[in-house]
Amino acid sequence: MTQENRKDPNTTDPGPNRRDSGGHFVFPRWTNLLRELSALLAVGGLVYAVLLVTWGLSPQNSAIGYAPEQPVPYSHELHVGRMGMDCRYCHTGVETGAKANVPPTATCMNCHATVKTESEKLAPIRKSYETGEPMEWEKVHDLPDFVYFNHAGHIQSGVGCISCHGRVDRMEVVRQEAPLNMSWCLDCHRDPDPNLRPVEFVTDMEWKPEGDPRELGAKLREQHGINPSTDCVTCHR
Amino acid sequence: MPRPIIYVLLVLVALSLIPVGLMYKSRVSPKEGTRLQIVYDMDHQSYVKPQTKSEFFADGQSMRLHPSGTVARGQLQENSEFYRGVIRDTTYTEVFPLEVTAEVVDRGQERFEIFCAPCHSSSGNGAGMVHARATALAEGTWTPPTDLTSQTVVDRPVGHIYHTITHGIRNMPAYGPQIPPKDRWAIVAYVRALQLSRNATLADVSPDVRAALEAEPPAVSVAAPPAGDTTGGTPTQNQGE
Repeated sequence: MTQENRKDPNTTDPGPNRRDSGGHFVFPRWTNLLRELSALLAVGGLVYAVLLVTWGLSPQNSAIGYAPEQPVPYSHELHVGRMGMDCRYCHTGVETGAKANVPPTATCMNCHATVKTESEKLAPIRKSYETGEPMEWEKVHDLPDFVYFNHAGHIQSGVGCISCHGRVDRMEVVRQEAPLNMSWCLDCHRDPDPNLRPVEFVTDMEWKPEGDPRELGAKLREQHGINPSTDCVTCHR
Repeated sequence: MPRPIIYVLLVLVALSLIPVGLMYKSRVSPKEGTRLQIVYDMDHQSYVKPQTKSEFFADGQSMRLHPSGTVARGQLQENSEFYRGVIRDTTYTEVFPLEVTAEVVDRGQERFEIFCAPCHSSSGNGAGMVHARATALAEGTWTPPTDLTSQTVVDRPVGHIYHTITHGIRNMPAYGPQIPPKDRWAIVAYVRALQLSRNATLADVSPDVRAALEAEPPAVSVAAPPAGDTTGGTPTQNQGE
């Protein structure tokens, strides 16, 4: 490609010499674009930075998918999904207490005292049972300490486990499915209908409403007088 | 505009897509390491939380047990029949220490499905999923669960069944810690209901319904295999843990 071809015929580019007849330096015509270009870069860069930070720091990015390694690779997929155990067999306090308690080692030993007694993976459980030293499970769903949350209230109102925890019965390793941030909480507190089900199905992972979930939800809300509060003090007390 | 400047701009745009791509990747993939905590705020406060470690107590537990020899208010459990299923600490009670209503039996069914069905199966015949899996794994230490509708259990006083739920028997562990007393009684009531239904004959059915049942023989599959009415019934395939 020659120098001639690269020249824009519409510009009066003075050429390599870039000096006018008086010997002064002349900016080439394209430099007129610099003003617009730098403005574009500045605005674009700012928007880009803001978007990147918002998107990057959002709970969708930092919280969803959190799946820490546990001291024992307990599989909900096997115990709940394939063997059909109910959530409440282990999380006994979920209907009556604020916490859906992690079961004591003794609950594991209900079966594993006789099933899989030699399993290498279960060795920490047996050790914990013998010594009384609790297992140190990694907490997956962890709300900030300035948030009050009560499982019992939600379970008794017919909010299914699946609404916040996802298909736990398909999880080899438990991972966080919901962002658990304030706007997500408020979404449901402002409009709980799609997440309400008859209380007897709260732990059912397969349950689907027969008709429109919103319609059923509205009916249940009416029946049980469910009026989720959006006051600050409801969760920040 | 000189080409090099255009190239630089294009490269800049291309580079700016890399963080976006990385972020998308982190968004869709599970995060196995430590939790990404961007703003700490007051997320972690130093108050005592359930099921956590405590630096304060010598045994390291934040949840405290009663000091030995003490009873919390309202937890004396004086009523021996209700709390232990025995009369005067000697004989199992033959009567329910609470009124058995339809609600109690329904509650019992729900609790039975949660705590008992894994081994005893939904019908109480002892062919539950845990039994199926233990059998599939060929566990030598496994004892098949009792058929709760068998004559042995039918003959047991309700207090005896309650006592067994509370303290366990043979391979069966104690369920006292997992099931509150009232729910244990509800389960006993439901076990009685199961025994009635599983051991029912055509003569037990009221005449008007009996005629309908006799009219369509295939619907009454009394001789169904024991595992036929459990969910799935087929043992899970052996896939390790």
